Amino acid sequence: MTRLRRLLDRHATALTLAVIVILWEIAGRFQLVASGALPAPSDVLIRMWEDQADYWPHVAATVRTAFLGFVGGNVIAILAAILFVRWPLTERLSRGVNIAIFALPPIAIVPVLVLALPGEWPRLTLAAIAVYFPTMTAMVVGLTEVDPRSVELMRAYGGGEGAVMRWVRLRASLPALLGGLRVAAPNAVLGAILAEFGSGSRWGLGTYLLGSLGRADPARLWGIGLAATAIAGLAYALAALAASRVTDASRAVTIAAGATPASEPIGRSGGHRVAIAVVALVLPFAIWWGLLALSGLSPIIAKTPLGVFDYLFLPPTAANAQARLLSALAETLPIMVVGMAAGLGFAFLLAVAGAVRPGIVRALMPIALVTQTMPLVALTPLLVLIFGRGVAVTVAITVSVTFFPAYVTLAQGLSMVPKAAFDLVRAYGASGWRALRMVALPASLPWLFAAARLAVPRALLGVMIAEWLATGRGLGNLLNQSRGYLDYGMIWTVALVSVLVSVILYQLAVGLERLATARR
Amino acid sequence: MAGGRGIVFEEISKQFLVRGSPLAVLDKVSLDCPPGSFTALIGPSGCGKSTLLKIALGLETVDAGSVRIGGEPPDAVRQRGEIGIAFQDPALLPWRSVSANVALPLDVLGGSRPEQRARIPHLVSLVGLSGFETALPGELSGGMRQRVAIARSLVTAPDVLLMDEPFGALDLILRRQMNVELQRIWMEQSPTTILVTHGIDEAVYLADRVVVLGGRPGVVKGIVDIPFDRPRPTTIFRDPAFHRLTDEVGALLGGDEG
Repeated sequence: MTRLRRLLDRHATALTLAVIVILWEIAGRFQLVASGALPAPSDVLIRMWEDQADYWPHVAATVRTAFLGFVGGNVIAILAAILFVRWPLTERLSRGVNIAIFALPPIAIVPVLVLALPGEWPRLTLAAIAVYFPTMTAMVVGLTEVDPRSVELMRAYGGGEGAVMRWVRLRASLPALLGGLRVAAPNAVLGAILAEFGSGSRWGLGTYLLGSLGRADPARLWGIGLAATAIAGLAYALAALAASRVTDASRAVTIAAGATPASEPIGRSGGHRVAIAVVALVLPFAIWWGLLALSGLSPIIAKTPLGVFDYLFLPPTAANAQARLLSALAETLPIMVVGMAAGLGFAFLLAVAGAVRPGIVRALMPIALVTQTMPLVALTPLLVLIFGRGVAVTVAITVSVTFFPAYVTLAQGLSMVPKAAFDLVRAYGASGWRALRMVALPASLPWLFAAARLAVPRALLGVMIAEWLATGRGLGNLLNQSRGYLDYGMIWTVALVSVLVSVILYQLAVGLERLATARR
Repeated sequence: MAGGRGIVFEEISKQFLVRGSPLAVLDKVSLDCPPGSFTALIGPSGCGKSTLLKIALGLETVDAGSVRIGGEPPDAVRQRGEIGIAFQDPALLPWRSVSANVALPLDVLGGSRPEQRARIPHLVSLVGLSGFETALPGELSGGMRQRVAIARSLVTAPDVLLMDEPFGALDLILRRQMNVELQRIWMEQSPTTILVTHGIDEAVYLADRVVVLGGRPGVVKGIVDIPFDRPRPTTIFRDPAFHRLTDEVGALLGGDEG
């Protein structure tokens, strides 16, 4: 009996996966879900085998884009991190750019990139952008969190910041950097697929997905989703392998929650601080402007910030443009907020329950990890198959993209609560649920906000993909339509507005997180 | 090279800002450490002894008074690599071998410094780590790591050696063993040395004189000269004269409460 138990315990993850596959097979065989929308895994594999001639060029294109974007994005991210740590002022000035890059829903800027860049550059750029943030933040943490004694030692021998960087920081940051690369690798695949899908390229899994969407062929869509997940998972595994060769201590899979962004910069004076904040705010727009000026593109196609303002407020058609934008926002925002709240809520309940009954965590982690690796674009058509093309699918996508990352963040946060804290309240006679209320809930609150901060861009991306692909409503649809109508002004406007929405909601979550942590 | 420079503190005063209000940690502390002397600074936590050491290093500013090493400000001396430093934490870089960690100050100071590099094997054997030249810090015990730190502090052949509780994290037996070895190593170069410590035995055994700091802000409570010849045998720990001196230091420390 106990031997069987031990066996089950040791292989809990494998068992969970096996059970899922078996249930899936049964559900598919007997067409239990949405009359055949969920084909059996065996059917999916058979279909993939039949389609294999199609797969290779598409897979090769996606892997190539992801790889080049991964390399380019990481080089930039590493150099930026070194710059930010060596001269902290540059970090503060770049804060606006960094937040924008983190928060931008990639799908929103694909059409803009296609307008502004030639050939495969839009795809490479998007893959690189997807990689930049996780690597940059991990590297900054690695460079910053060095043994202060080592730094003091450098100073004592007359070494300045340059010597500290050269002898201590660079080498010390290696484990953190490799951790960042692991997160970045599947991101590059997602970025590549999103870009293919929005840029009308000839090859790539994104293109294949888009082409297969119209046919009533669930097995093929699932096959593409599986292939995309496998590539992303493989990218993760390769990065993890490289990491474990350098640092023997392998770490748990984490979402780079990072620290709460520093609340107040150390400024010399109020005016100095305001000046830095203004530059940080203006810099993204200045870069946008500067790049377009350098590119020499026609102002009709490539809108500067001023061009967007012009489009939205000056000409006679402005009122119409404003109305379309506002009604799209009115469709997108409520669904996004509801879906995000539901996803975060479920994650919160489950994580807190898991803190009391750890078995739940063990059973759910594998599913959480698989869905995290599964590229969002690949997930969307599958959910469309199940939920149809109404509002339900948008909510389902938003919940599913926010739930699992939030759950992982919260579960990790709660696992950091010292076990002694639980034991202490129990020792005074508190029941399990009472301990939960007194220890787990307050402990998890800051993590909930951290999870919200991470969930914002994903939620908006999920909603926009659903709108673009399935529902024909909201910002995503407006963007897709404007592409068709060659309405350049609207393409740039939607890109700008969706980035702004994401950044504002992100900042809101940061503000709440600060309030929650300030009291402790 | 027997200690070319002395360290002179003159009327040092220092305040820290604690939550916006000033807290005086040192009040007009004067101290003269002649060339080649070994001074132990002892006192309760928070009396400013570590701050005084950082001032001697030039890593901490003063509000009043001055410190001179051989007549120069400490910054200049430090940046030439003429001060050796050892902290309570050995602060070894985990990715560097024993030899490479000992060589670290030379790398930071720049220049090839061939004759100082040539001395590294000798220093490693001096601290009893022959055969461990290529070992990484993770493969060493706590005491061995601290020996690496001592070797590192001597690699520039410094005129001045500043140590802040270098054996504070070691157990009593290991600590006494390290004290004996430090004396042996010290006698080879006799740099002008200041040792900050909590241990009365350690201070009396190693130093030419023990300076007791106390009070808040910290002032010099008293100075006890240690007349024993070197090398001092370990049997000295059982000598009644040794105990009279430790009692004297203890009395100066104990008077702090009143």
